[in-house]
Amino acid sequence: MTDLDARLLAAHDSGDIRALVALYREAAEAANTETARAFFLTHAHVFALEINHPDTAALRAGLIAMGRETAL
Amino acid sequence: MHQTDLSAVRQTISAARGLPNAHYTDPQVYDEERAALLMSGWSGLAVVADVAEPGDAVPLTFLDMPLLLIRDRAGQVRVFHNICRHRGMILVDAPRKIEGAIRCPYHSWCYSTEGRLVSTPHVGGPGQNVHEAIDKDLLGLIEVRSHVWNGVIFVNLSGTAEPFEVTHRELLDRWAEFDVPMYHGGADSRIRLDLKSNWKLIIENYCESYHLPWVHPGLNSYSRLEDHYHIENPGKFSGQGTYVYRQITDEDGSVFPDFPGLSEKWDAAGEYLTFLPNVMVGVQRDHMFAIILDPVSVDRTIETAHLFYATPQTSDTLRAKNTDQWNAVFVEDIMAVEGMQRGRQSPGFDGGRFSPAMDGPTHLFHDWVAEQMALHRAADKAAE
Repeated sequence: MTDLDARLLAAHDSGDIRALVALYREAAEAANTETARAFFLTHAHVFALEINHPDTAALRAGLIAMGRETAL
Repeated sequence: MHQTDLSAVRQTISAARGLPNAHYTDPQVYDEERAALLMSGWSGLAVVADVAEPGDAVPLTFLDMPLLLIRDRAGQVRVFHNICRHRGMILVDAPRKIEGAIRCPYHSWCYSTEGRLVSTPHVGGPGQNVHEAIDKDLLGLIEVRSHVWNGVIFVNLSGTAEPFEVTHRELLDRWAEFDVPMYHGGADSRIRLDLKSNWKLIIENYCESYHLPWVHPGLNSYSRLEDHYHIENPGKFSGQGTYVYRQITDEDGSVFPDFPGLSEKWDAAGEYLTFLPNVMVGVQRDHMFAIILDPVSVDRTIETAHLFYATPQTSDTLRAKNTDQWNAVFVEDIMAVEGMQRGRQSPGFDGGRFSPAMDGPTHLFHDWVAEQMALHRAADKAAE
């Protein structure tokens, strides 16, 4: 298990949604395929939506640019 | 299904009998009443004080249905079916603050507090969050018609009732003077009772003054039977009033502030009526209470009373005293409603006879039940 995996699991266990936004974003940046990147960005966006994170719109815009999401 | 015979209920009060036992004991009749009486009209569900701030969300079960009470981001109180449009998962399982979107805990479909579906993660495969078969605009949360009156939230679950103001026009006209800002007294102004009684018995007990000198002997000192009057509006509402409402006083003689603009009638009057089917309301010059009945099953009802005042801030001690006073009255009634419920297991009980002088409001309630059941049965038959 990578350090990032461990931190993600810990954030899930503690329900730290703000941390999940950051960690899934980090996972997206480290991903080596577009599908993997979109997968992790999707998680970052969903958790951002849940807490009205200030980066929610930017995350959504990224997914829209990838053809993976629609505008609100 | 066997249908109860309600012809005796619809006779004039001198000849009528009350509702048959099955209306208090038979789960099948409870189910029929659920559709005919509780879902077809405007039922009380909660109070706006339950969701004081934007994002406050409270899951509720009403008539076995999972509902979600929420104050949206713009401040509007809404009621939704508490289910995800994807797999029917319960969305919110405990009261909490929704900071952003409502995220389904199963596959993370997300909804705005206004009910709009805003995200469907991986719906088109990993990392693909759109699919041509999934139109988000058609898959928002299912909203229940709701209406707020004086801080009480009513819902029409069938979606077919006339607007609230039309359904209750006569009652709203009667109490037009109480169409003023109402402020919930807060946590110390709620009374919750879990009663082994069918919900209708609680209304029946509430709408008549006949029992007062026997069940509430403490009232005899200042509020005698002859100080009360019947309120009878066939097919709409019935209840009782008093000519001798006396304001509660604190140790220093202070009282609650009055509601603004009341006419002289209310100097010493109090009136006690039911927004049918399930919200019993009392109005007096200085406070209102609303008692919401949650008919959990045919023989169990949760009764929650809420006290409202004319100003946001009131004396803590006076408010506590008022809550205690009403709590004592409501608790005294438990013996009556639970005793009548047990009595309805007797095959010898034929619905009972009414006092033509004293039971008019009770008879009118039974007559309303019978009329609504007849309308429901006729509609069912026409649909066959």
